[in-house]
Amino acid sequence: MAKKVAVLVGTKKGLYILRGDANRQKWEVEGPQWAPAPIHHAMYDPRDGSMYAAVNQTWGGSRIEHSRDMGKTWTTSSNPKFPEGSDRTFSQTWHIEPGHPSTPNVVWAGTEPAALFKSEDRGESWAIVQSLDDQPTRAKWVPGFGGMGLHSIAIDAKDPKRMSVGISVGGVYTTTDGGTTWTQDNKKTGGDSERPDVFYCIHKLLAHPEESGLRFMRVHEEVYWRDPNETTWRHSTAGLPSNFGFAAAMHPRDRRTAYVIPLDGMTRAAAPFGIGVYRTQDKGKSWQKLEKGLPQGAPLETLREGMHNDRLDPMGLYFGTANGDVWASRDEGESWTRIAQYLPYVTSVHAAMVE
Amino acid sequence: MLLHGAFRGFAGGAREVALNAANLGEALEALVHAHPSLAERLRDEHGKLRPHMALFVNEDDARLLGWEDAPLKEGDIVHVIPALSGG
Repeated sequence: MAKKVAVLVGTKKGLYILRGDANRQKWEVEGPQWAPAPIHHAMYDPRDGSMYAAVNQTWGGSRIEHSRDMGKTWTTSSNPKFPEGSDRTFSQTWHIEPGHPSTPNVVWAGTEPAALFKSEDRGESWAIVQSLDDQPTRAKWVPGFGGMGLHSIAIDAKDPKRMSVGISVGGVYTTTDGGTTWTQDNKKTGGDSERPDVFYCIHKLLAHPEESGLRFMRVHEEVYWRDPNETTWRHSTAGLPSNFGFAAAMHPRDRRTAYVIPLDGMTRAAAPFGIGVYRTQDKGKSWQKLEKGLPQGAPLETLREGMHNDRLDPMGLYFGTANGDVWASRDEGESWTRIAQYLPYVTSVHAAMVE
Repeated sequence: MLLHGAFRGFAGGAREVALNAANLGEALEALVHAHPSLAERLRDEHGKLRPHMALFVNEDDARLLGWEDAPLKEGDIVHVIPALSGG
């Protein structure tokens, strides 16, 4: 059966699901679910069709919900828990990520305070990854503007024992042995900042879904590319109007192409240069603005989880804004249409390919 | 015990729960026994009662009565209320 796209949209007041037709032209808006709870991230697991949502509610504390029927009904998971004796308490979930295809019951969650949790029962319960928590450098992790969270979980395309995580502010950590040991992994080549590696505010870290070892990273003030077998990250921002931003995506097939949405480092919005999705097709050596159909010069804001892509051909790209719009491109970013408006402040966008 | 707002939803829609308890701590324990889904909504992983929750015994704020040690007698109504927060 042909795939359709459902876009899970987390907002500051509940979860919305935008269900597209076969052409990705007409969209029906469902929701909100759990309003007024903020939804930091929601995702679809293509391995079994489950959906997960980080419901960071004030009342009753934050929790993770999962659905086995495409969002019709939801069940509350057992909370991620810091172990007895820990000086930390689970505050909220920043990101949920499906495990490697070879481990179908494994799902990962990144939390605040920054920690990695693993579920081995499809999100029913969660256990802390103690080896990462035991990193001596953890004492040097500090909160960024939005808090101190583990927000990026980059699963290698081929090797189930290899994954990287991104922490604000704590850097990148990579394991190649399934999480037994971790290595600080954000040594870079080029760029202006000369901070200690642990003091890099990682904004978004992505692993390519098909090519093992290929990664792309959006840091507070910089953008980096890393090919397989490279040991350092290559700085690459030529053509961007600013070095700052959060949202990032990788093309699922073209292994030289990625996307970012630059923001101004002070205003945290696309001012004065205007909202635009910037694309590189040469591994970050150069960037071009894609804005056909977008409001010209608009000082919009997009957050860390605010952009995502589907894996159809041509690829669809989606982003949400602080003013409650969701924009979509059916032609790999060349042109854009608004597919939802007047939603609450959009915190996350996730494109799911469904039957 | 009378559940208000979000806590009613966390308990599957239950509005009130009749139980026997000598103090507020015992009442909360019995409430969780009756509705296990409330366990993680009332307390964090270290057993601490969550913020943004008000507990009243009849008309009185439980914080002024000894909090979890607040004594209860037959006929008392304990209110579990999402604290008014935000704006």
